[in-house]
Amino acid sequence: MIVALRRAASLSGLLVGLLALGGCAASQEGGPVTLVFKYARILGNADPLPALLRQFEAAHPGVRVKGEALPWASDDQHQFYIINLEGRSPGFDVMMLDCIWVPEFARAGWLLDLTTSLQPDELAPYFPSAVAAATYGGRVWALPWNFNVGLLYYRADLLAKYGLRPPETFEELVEQVRRIRAGERDPALDGYVWQGKQYEGLVVNVLEAFWANGARILGDDGAIFPEPARAADALRFLRGLIASGVSPAWTTAADEELSRRAFGDGHAIFLRNWPYAMDLFEGKDSAVRGKVAFAPLPGRARGERGVGSTGGAHLGISRRSRHPDHALALARHLTSEAAQRAIALGAALSPTRQSLYRDPEVMREHPAMPRLQALALAGRPRPVTPYYLLLSATVQPEFSAALVGIKPPERAIAEAGTRLGYFLEAVR
Amino acid sequence: MTGREAADRRRALVCVAPTVLALGALTVYPGVWVLWLSLQHRIPIFDVSRFAGFENYAFLAVDSRFWSAAHTTAVFTLGSVALEVVLGVAAALAIHTQRRGRRLALSLLLLAWAMPAVVAAKLFEWLYHPAAGLINVALGRHAINWLGDPLVALPAVIFADVWRTMPFVAILCYARLLAIPADVYEAAQVDGAGRLATLTRITLPLLGRILLLATLFRTLDALRAFDIMFVLTGGGPAGTTETLTVYAYRALFQTLQLGFGSAVSVVVFLLVMAVAWAYLRLLRAGAVAA
Repeated sequence: MIVALRRAASLSGLLVGLLALGGCAASQEGGPVTLVFKYARILGNADPLPALLRQFEAAHPGVRVKGEALPWASDDQHQFYIINLEGRSPGFDVMMLDCIWVPEFARAGWLLDLTTSLQPDELAPYFPSAVAAATYGGRVWALPWNFNVGLLYYRADLLAKYGLRPPETFEELVEQVRRIRAGERDPALDGYVWQGKQYEGLVVNVLEAFWANGARILGDDGAIFPEPARAADALRFLRGLIASGVSPAWTTAADEELSRRAFGDGHAIFLRNWPYAMDLFEGKDSAVRGKVAFAPLPGRARGERGVGSTGGAHLGISRRSRHPDHALALARHLTSEAAQRAIALGAALSPTRQSLYRDPEVMREHPAMPRLQALALAGRPRPVTPYYLLLSATVQPEFSAALVGIKPPERAIAEAGTRLGYFLEAVR
Repeated sequence: MTGREAADRRRALVCVAPTVLALGALTVYPGVWVLWLSLQHRIPIFDVSRFAGFENYAFLAVDSRFWSAAHTTAVFTLGSVALEVVLGVAAALAIHTQRRGRRLALSLLLLAWAMPAVVAAKLFEWLYHPAAGLINVALGRHAINWLGDPLVALPAVIFADVWRTMPFVAILCYARLLAIPADVYEAAQVDGAGRLATLTRITLPLLGRILLLATLFRTLDALRAFDIMFVLTGGGPAGTTETLTVYAYRALFQTLQLGFGSAVSVVVFLLVMAVAWAYLRLLRAGAVAA
């Protein structure tokens, strides 16, 4: 291990050195300005980004924008950022950030404080919860770029065939799965598919189950699992979905794409996923084209109404950028109404600007936009804290242990709470 | 005479100095630094840096995730090393008795050994894929959730590791087999020893030391195993394939808890040292006996 550590340390040193060299080469005296933009490849029919970047260059003579792709997985992106940003010479100016990282990066001093550079009403057109996620300590650190909210997709054709309406509670959902599967007699048809693999998506799914059951991971006063019995009950319910066969056994290995494909191939009645999936279900060669609709996530009987977790990406600016003004201009350009319209049309990402949900051009392509807006407005963010990653990484294996059934839910909650308490104690 | 001795000693010191310096800079200094870090609460990105004494170790003593990782490390090490030794010896014997195609067999073995661990892990990730994997396609209706089932995932990871590293044991043993003179076997045959007696009385005892050495290398590697489970399962499902090094990595590089992560690394370091020491004693005892 020590050897491995040493290797990693010298390697990252080397990387930092190389990046520093790259940075020096790029900033020639009086030469053209080069902005480096780090982003994750966008799913969808066509990647609209190259065109948007060229547009920006055309409007800003002398500025060149280099788009650089991030690793595919969210955890790898985060690690890329922390290694390079902690290394003092990041080599990029504008970065795409998962909204859960903003408080952490702001607290670490890696992001440029945008508060004073923004017009007073510049953030008004955005979803309030997206703006809240870009705010930490009363300052604004990023511009909201795209928005996500957890949805319940359902097979409208199957529900209609059995005279059912989309379920309002999970108990109803379970009942509907039983009825439809009994009627269809198709062993390949699964009931409810969601994300139960040990990764960030699991935390999102469990949080949604917590909220429907009146439980939280962090209380307003910073208490850890303030409602432990309700939290354990929510975990037990999720485990029950898998144990009873309402959700397939592979749920414990499912991420967004795996569950989306199963539903998209016509092998499931219900799916929990983000808005991007709708475009793919409506694609030309989709097996479920015209048969899918979405509804709010169900709540629990005698519990609270269901609410989807919000998510999405923000654009932040490195505090060490040599061209902060150009970088801010680029972030503004990419989050502008025109750019978000192009992204909503060309890719499967939902805008953060509310007006676009009623935009005729966008609605022609995505008729469900106004309904999506209502659900997005009702969405709830994951705990907004600089220690979110620590929190998520700590609870993941415990939640997973409860879902696969090797740990009683009460013990999983208790042990996650103990570990989280020790780690948070150290940072507070 | 004394002057010459002193000059010799000086020259010896000069000759040794680069090694001592290099070892000091590359091993002792980082080692001591990690030890020092493990006694602190240290999270640089949040400017947390304060002395914690043995708090991190005290927490590890009651941390269920740590003990689960320690348990996984032990099962992985015992399972993979035992299988590698048994299969490695079997493969070496099989190749040794083979009359034709020895080179081909050796090249095929080396191919697996030469494959980088991450590539091998990616390969197995596809083989184990729940829907599209070759293994499950072959199993048809009896498909198994290889990497998602908490009971199956660790054996699946062990199997992937055995596939990749068994050739190492096999090739070492094969080399030793080549060095056993044929007249030993002829004498055994004259004395009327059967095939089984020849194997247990002659071949295996002669393989003993090289096997011990191979086992030492493999055990130390297995105790520090990281890449294969990191790529295949990331430590999941439910942490059932999370070894101590993966736990240390998560703390050190994912959440940047340098103090806590260092404490886990120090435990791995002590574990590896203890096992290496035990093996070296065995080897030395063997040397005296022989």
